[in-house]
Formats: sequence, structure tokens, C-alpha cells
Amino acid sequence: MIRGLSRIVPNVVVGACLAIGFLIVQPAAAEEKPKADAPAETQASSAVSAPLVKGALPADDPTAAIWSSAPPATFPMSPQVHWPTRNLEATVKDMIVRGLHDGTNVAILLEYADPTEDPDDAAAVQFMVGDKKAHFAHGQPMAQVEGGPVNIWYWKNKDGKGVDMNAKGFGTLKIQDHQDVKAKGAYANGRWKVVFSRPLDTGHPEEDTLITTAGFINIGFAAWDGKKDPSSGELKEKGSQKAVSSWWYFRAEAPPNYTGYYYAAIAVGLALGFQFVLIRKLKKGQSA
Amino acid sequence: MGPIIKLILLNVVTYLILKFVLPNVPGSAPLPASLIFLYLLLTTSGFLILATVSAESKEEFWGPIQRFLVGDGIGGLQALRWVVLILFPLLVGWQTYSSTAVSDAPPGENRTIHPAPPGEYAGLSNPVPKTPETIQQGKGFYAAFCSPCHGGNFDGKGSAARGFNPPPANFADPTTIAMLQESYLFWRIKKGGVGLPIEGMPWKSAMPRWELELPDEWIWKIIMGEYDGAHQSPRTWE
Repeated sequence: MIRGLSRIVPNVVVGACLAIGFLIVQPAAAEEKPKADAPAETQASSAVSAPLVKGALPADDPTAAIWSSAPPATFPMSPQVHWPTRNLEATVKDMIVRGLHDGTNVAILLEYADPTEDPDDAAAVQFMVGDKKAHFAHGQPMAQVEGGPVNIWYWKNKDGKGVDMNAKGFGTLKIQDHQDVKAKGAYANGRWKVVFSRPLDTGHPEEDTLITTAGFINIGFAAWDGKKDPSSGELKEKGSQKAVSSWWYFRAEAPPNYTGYYYAAIAVGLALGFQFVLIRKLKKGQSA
Repeated sequence: MGPIIKLILLNVVTYLILKFVLPNVPGSAPLPASLIFLYLLLTTSGFLILATVSAESKEEFWGPIQRFLVGDGIGGLQALRWVVLILFPLLVGWQTYSSTAVSDAPPGENRTIHPAPPGEYAGLSNPVPKTPETIQQGKGFYAAFCSPCHGGNFDGKGSAARGFNPPPANFADPTTIAMLQESYLFWRIKKGGVGLPIEGMPWKSAMPRWELELPDEWIWKIIMGEYDGAHQSPRTWE
């Protein structure tokens, strides 16, 4: 009996210890996961998650009802202080962002408060292109890290369209030869809603950010209050004077994935089988 | 005391020591969960080897386990046996699910807040004589160039700070400039966020590269003004 036992029981004990060990360690390990940076008190989000929709994408409708099915993410904005010409105060304080995709195209909705509607009001979304990290201020060069370019989607109220651009450092902003981005804005009740849309993959990986359902990519936001000073005619914000965000995350959600449940079911089956064989062997050993 | 109780107690004590006692030993640091798990596994393996050196000790150890699992007439333990037999597969299933399920969280970031400066900055000392006038000048420059983000109170809460991630450093916090030498601040102000090495994630920092806009002498004065205003002293190596 002891001989039979000595072959099986160590496995059980090690298995049980593993299970108990995992139970003890799991909460501890969860604690150790690096927490997402949460700088400001108002910081609510660190990522935009764009659900997959079955029907038509509201690519040119910032006020479509379907937007309410996309979870909003709120990001704090700062005046652009990184580079001259700076502004030390900006109109837009928070950017509410939603995303949707249909497997082919992606639509991103920016929503923010701006007390006046002006022809020069503008907004932009920014992404890194390729594998290299790009500085959030127009992908400007970094001293010790080889950076990549940024892809900027820009919309201005009076132009009423999206512009697809690239930059790698200040003063290098360039409109792309192939324009893949559409944009449309709607102003109501002191708030702008601007929707940008584009194919997930444009076929131009050197210039456009590739959006896949595989994971998170970096995203940043900017907004310009195009209010004119009545006496001087100067725009309140233009060019490098704007509200900007840091880099945050964006992802197009993958279709629902149930593999985790399958694996769990298989594991439960294996554990049950193991118990069954174990107890049968033990009982045999006992009666022998 | 039965050997199984001993094993459990041994593991509990080992865990408590590794988790709560060891990190408090001077010069030590909290242990990663994976390392604690490895130590517990080693403790268990060692105990199992000891428990199986003789037929007698083996029976003493495995006997109760076997009786619990298949023995007759164990009374109230009968219910516990069923609980264990049902719970074990469920635990395995849950463990498998949580290790294979796709994470909903964005990738974690381990940004090094104070990475090593380039060699040429190590050991630089402030060439500006420390007088009430120069400190005052430094505070003036600080108010003009730094306070919009780092705050008039040197607390990192300037009016332009809220959108930036990482947030502007809080100089009143004893883990920022009080831990650093003046030469380190000189490097950070001069080269700005884009001057950071890769572990500092330079692509996220909004800190301007002030060498393009301010002379070195102003930067040294700003450093003096910062320490004075934040009621901190530079770190020195004595």
C-alpha cells in the first residue's frame, strides 16, 4: 500500500501546495503590477477602448446615438509649455474621448467645452508611427533615444475636413500625399464634438499609425481656441499655442474571446480526472 | 503535532518572515512575489524529503492524507473531504482562466524617475556664489520660467501642470531634489525631458530643454532658488 502511495501522493501534495501557493501569491502579485500613472486629481482615464460595432460606423456624425455605446475616457489638458511660443493658459481643460470601429474603419470622437464657436477652432489627434517611440510634442528629437515620427489627424472648423499629417520635430509638420482621414465637427451648448475616422490599416505603415485589435497604441490630443481678440484681431490660440495632452492609450477592441473559458474547462476536467484516478488507486492500495 | 500541521506552520512562518520581516531589515527591500513563492516551494520540498527518509516517517506524513481522502468513518471530516474534492478542480480552473484571460488594462509602465546622468555632469558644482542676492535672482527666474508647472509653492502644482503625465516634480517632496545633487538638477534643467535616457521615458516628459533659452548661470541660480524656496538642501557626499 505504501509503495503505491509513495508514487502518487507526492504529486498530490505538490499540486495542492502549488494551488495554495498561487492563492497566497496571486493577490500579492496583483499588488505588484505597476499602477497606471495617475498624476492629477482629476485624472480619470488612461486609455480609450473602442468597441466593435456591427452596423454602420458614425464616421461623419458626431452626434449619432450609437456614440453613447462607447465608453468615454476623460483626459486632462495643459497649455503647451514645452516649446516656444508657449501659452500658459488654455481654453480646453478636459478632453472626453470615445472610439468605435467596425473591423475596417475606426472613428474617434473628441468632446470638449469651448465657450465660443469660432472659424479657427481646431482639434487634433496624434499617434506614434511604427515601433519607435515618438516624443509627445510633435515627435521632436530625443538626446539618448532614437525617436520615430508622429501621425497627426487635424480638423479646423472653417475647413470642415480632416487633414492627415506627419511630424518629426517642431517645424517639420507635413501634409501627407495620401489623405486617409475624415473629420467633422458639431458645436452645441458650448461644446465641440469632433469625429475623426480612418481605415484601421491604410497600407502606408511608414506614415500612418496602424490600428489593430492586438493591443494598445499611444494616443495624444490637442485643441485650439480660435477666438479672435476684438481689438487686435489676434487669435487666442494658434500654432504651438494650444491645449495638449500627454501620451495615453487607445485600442480597438477585439471580437469577444472565450478561449480563457475553454482552457479553464479543460483544466477543471483534468483536475477531476486526476482526483478520480488518485482516489481509485488509493482505494485499491487500501484493499490490497 | 502531526507532520502536516508542521509543514503548514513552517510555510506560514516562512511567508510571514519573507513578506513582512525581511523588508524591514536595514539595507533590504520587499521581495518579489515570485521569489517568495520559490522559497515556499523550496521549504515544502525540503520538508517532503525529510518526511520520507524512513518508512516510519513516511507513514506518519502520508497516512493522515490518505485516511482523509479515502478512509472510512472519518466523521465530520467527510464533509470537508467533499469540499476539498470540489474546490480543488475549481481552483485549478480559476487559476487557468486568470492566467490566460486577455488583460483589459493598458500596459504597465516602469519609468525610472531619477535615471543616471551622463558622466560629464557628475561632480559639477554650482559656480555661482550663494548669496541672498543670487538666491533671490534664482527665485525670480524660477517664478518666470518654472512656476507655471512646478508651482509658486515649489509643490509641482502649477496652473499648467494638470495635464502632464508624468507630473511636474514636487520639490517640497523629500524624495525629489533633496535626494539629488545640484549637478543632477543642472543636467535635468539644461537638457529637459528629451535629454532623459530610455528608462526615463523621454517621449512623455514635458520638461523644456532650457539650454536653448537660458544661459547656464541662470540655471545655476534657479537651482539655488529652488532649494531655498522648497526648504531643501542638495545631497552631498561626505
